[in-house]
Amino acid sequence: MKKIEIGHGSGGRLTRELIQKVFLKYFNSEELKPLEDAAYIRLKNHNTALTTDSYVVRPLFFPGGDIGKLSVCGTVNDLAVSGAVPGYLSIGIILEEGFPIGSLEDIVKSIGETSRNAGVRIAAGDTKVVEKGKCDGVYINTTGIGEIARPLFPDNISPGDAVIATGTLGDHGTAIALARDEFAIKSRVESDCAPLNGLLTPLFEIEGLKWMRDPTRGGAATVLAELSDLTGLGVEIFEDKVPVREDVRFISDMLGYDPLYLANEGKALIIASDESAGKIVGILRKHSLGHNAAIIGNISSKFKGARLRTRIGGERLLDVLEEDMLPRIC
Amino acid sequence: MKKTQDIIKLIHSLVPDNKKIRIMNVCGSHEHTIAFSGMRSLMPENLEIIPGPGCPVCVCPESDIINAINLSKKDDIILVTYGDMLRVPTQQGSIRAEGRNFRMITSPFEAINIARTNPDKKIVFFSIGFETTTAPTAGILEMGVPENLFILSSHRLTPTIMEVLVKDAEIGIDGFIAPGHVSAIVGSNAWNVFSEKYGIPTVVAGFEADNLLLGILEILRQLKDGSVRTSNVYSGVVKSEGNVRAQKLMEKYFEVADVNWRGVGYIPASGLELRDRYAERNAREVFELEEIKEAKIPGCICGAIILGKAYPSACKLFKKACTPKAPKGPCMVSFEGACNIWYKTN
Repeated sequence: MKKIEIGHGSGGRLTRELIQKVFLKYFNSEELKPLEDAAYIRLKNHNTALTTDSYVVRPLFFPGGDIGKLSVCGTVNDLAVSGAVPGYLSIGIILEEGFPIGSLEDIVKSIGETSRNAGVRIAAGDTKVVEKGKCDGVYINTTGIGEIARPLFPDNISPGDAVIATGTLGDHGTAIALARDEFAIKSRVESDCAPLNGLLTPLFEIEGLKWMRDPTRGGAATVLAELSDLTGLGVEIFEDKVPVREDVRFISDMLGYDPLYLANEGKALIIASDESAGKIVGILRKHSLGHNAAIIGNISSKFKGARLRTRIGGERLLDVLEEDMLPRIC
Repeated sequence: MKKTQDIIKLIHSLVPDNKKIRIMNVCGSHEHTIAFSGMRSLMPENLEIIPGPGCPVCVCPESDIINAINLSKKDDIILVTYGDMLRVPTQQGSIRAEGRNFRMITSPFEAINIARTNPDKKIVFFSIGFETTTAPTAGILEMGVPENLFILSSHRLTPTIMEVLVKDAEIGIDGFIAPGHVSAIVGSNAWNVFSEKYGIPTVVAGFEADNLLLGILEILRQLKDGSVRTSNVYSGVVKSEGNVRAQKLMEKYFEVADVNWRGVGYIPASGLELRDRYAERNAREVFELEEIKEAKIPGCICGAIILGKAYPSACKLFKKACTPKAPKGPCMVSFEGACNIWYKTN
């Protein structure tokens, strides 16, 4: 077994073999092992959060991660920023005929490791194989469910609240852009791809926590513009407070990107009451994924929309991303 | 930050209450910094900073792009060009949408590599831009290019278009921020004509917001004192004589030609073509390219925007029919294009 054959998606012997030799080797949860049509899972209560996402990133392997790690982090993070404790994941994989089993194993291993690090269990899975040329190696869909620990609604946001970033912005977008090798640039920028539940769960206990979002496609600017639409309030952030890696800033300048519009896969934007913001940043900074956390702005009733107060004190509009600068970023 | 605020205060103190001052930048990267730093929101009401013809992608004639599309459809040709050129719309679509064999490059050296690794193909390098990109193309010609590499030159000259703008009374320019990268090649002396012949303060500036503010301040000081000259606040990079070696190479391989600027029209002595003695490298000659009549884009005012006669927001198509994702006019494509920048910052 070296390469994916059409038969690996047949549901027959080859499928069984692939499941046993590749998938179960890394996804060894008791929910999955019986290989029944549906897994029995235990939910402690009925307040459940559910999310799903598909991953088509190109290239499949990039500095700081791969499509497998991304497919776990993306879904875990959607649950975590919704105030839920992620519990179970399903993994649906679409494979292209001829895809090397070795690469698949690397991806599956990465899914296994990331889900263990995140403390989530893979409870269900599916594999399909399509003919060569009908997909680009591997596509993955993951669905996640979690228990709602702290329901968060944008209605709670009010003027004077603080906007917090959990770390540097634009790393994932930059890493993917460079990994495509279209611009002969060498750099040390890695994707920030990481499960955020460990970082964010301790915040659920803080009363002033109001709303969270992970700024993936469209970046922080798009999230803040949407937040303004949702609340009817103004959002202002300060360029000199927004954490951006020096190399990300440099490369963005060179390529004409704006780090505020670049995707992140291991960062959250948090809205919290002004009084609790300092405490939240303190908690975040103690965690390895939150060293660079900072208050970057605030909510205002004096204007509508999202805007950036630039380093020289000028104002710039932040709008929802229109142009997909990098298709297939996640 | 304090220094920045001091410069802004001085700028405010030098702009008269009763007269509009219009300062033009002629560089897409300058416009990028101005817009992304929100600089206009900090300027006095009577001071206008106008984006001029600073986007090479925007002024590249439609005819050259259509010829490039058609060349890329030939089995034995690979067209190579800079990324933004792939998306510029024409009456026959863009290179990306309608072309067949094309590749994006970020430097002319990549064109050489592609030519070397594809010896059975003819590589056409669609080389566009102002003096900044002409110099490296002259550089690879001097190094010696493979037999299968041809140049489609669509290079344009910055000082010439600036002189056209000065003579156009409708625009009314009180000061120029001269382009930093172009100045590094041509030297700050290249702008003396504007201060000496036309009495327009011209200041070479870099790309940091602070440096641009300093440039604006210098123009205002000259206007106030009546001591008009060419100044350079980017002297760490730009020398008065420029990059003499690059100038010599450009002179060796290129000759000045009367060329078309998209949306503007023919301007005498405003572009560069390969010299006759390098005709065997000239894609225009080798593939017998013919000029295709430029089609007007209904409603598009890119021509007026390039000349500083209108702001992007004055265009009926802006943010409606014309967006960065589906650009109708050339100025919406590149991140150096005024409409693209305006779209993202206003």
